[in-house]
Amino acid sequence: MDIPIEWYLVLSAFLFVIGVAGVLTRRNMFIVLFSIELMMNAVNVNLIGFSRFHDNFIGQHFVLFTMTVAAAEAAVGLAIVTSLFRNRQTTMVDMFDLLKG
Amino acid sequence: MVEKVLFVVFAALAVGSGVGVITRSNIVHALMLLIFSFVNIAAIYLLTSAFFIAVVQILVYAGAILVLFTFVVMFLNLRQYQSMEQLHPTQKWVALILTPLVLAEFVVVALAATWTAVGGAYDPETVAAGGGNVALLGERLFADALLPFEMASLILLVGMVGAVVLAAKEGHEYMDTRAWSGTDEERTPEFVEQEV
Repeated sequence: MDIPIEWYLVLSAFLFVIGVAGVLTRRNMFIVLFSIELMMNAVNVNLIGFSRFHDNFIGQHFVLFTMTVAAAEAAVGLAIVTSLFRNRQTTMVDMFDLLKG
Repeated sequence: MVEKVLFVVFAALAVGSGVGVITRSNIVHALMLLIFSFVNIAAIYLLTSAFFIAVVQILVYAGAILVLFTFVVMFLNLRQYQSMEQLHPTQKWVALILTPLVLAEFVVVALAATWTAVGGAYDPETVAAGGGNVALLGERLFADALLPFEMASLILLVGMVGAVVLAAKEGHEYMDTRAWSGTDEERTPEFVEQEV
């Protein structure tokens, strides 16, 4: 065990919190999607670290499935963004407030 | 020792470019910084001797997913939005309070907890003797996780169909169930507003 598991957890915490901050603060829909990708990568760092820590492959399997879901999420998310942009001519998320009471 | 130094360097680069992603107002710059962040995370996977995942990270994440993002960013002409206000008016104050708290919580828990390895069968010596990370990962994947693997292909199929249906221009003949009642009127934002 060369690198302590805590280092992976701290790196992952930083990346995840950056993603959370991006989703909460930015208005641009693309940056929100990038931040979601960043959060998924933070989770992947955790899984890889624990896979190495526990000397098995389960974490690496999970990373493969996370990447699959991330690919599907990116495709569907971008389709929604293009569809919204075509209809509303903006990518700022706080402009989409039709359901706001 | 050298692994630890490299880990800190790559982690700092990944976090630094991650901060860049959420602070740039130019989306293309943010995208390039995101790719750089993902490449650094792939380097961390290499240090962890997860070689297959590192290659997949570069091929699928930095290669495929972010190229998809780049295509869409460049298709839509977004330069006009750079000069607009980039931060959410109220949520940024919530984020300012919440995110340091969440970060502190994560770090305190990660450092305070005692982590005990369960000691699985695949320590580095066994992996090296058994044909390396890629061979053993594939072997275990198809032995332990065959059903989830097949489900993953189904998720990709559903994602593909969903993307095509969502992004297809309405009004084509194959979309006629969703077309707007026979009018050829141009769909301006005001028109959409009225319809909704």
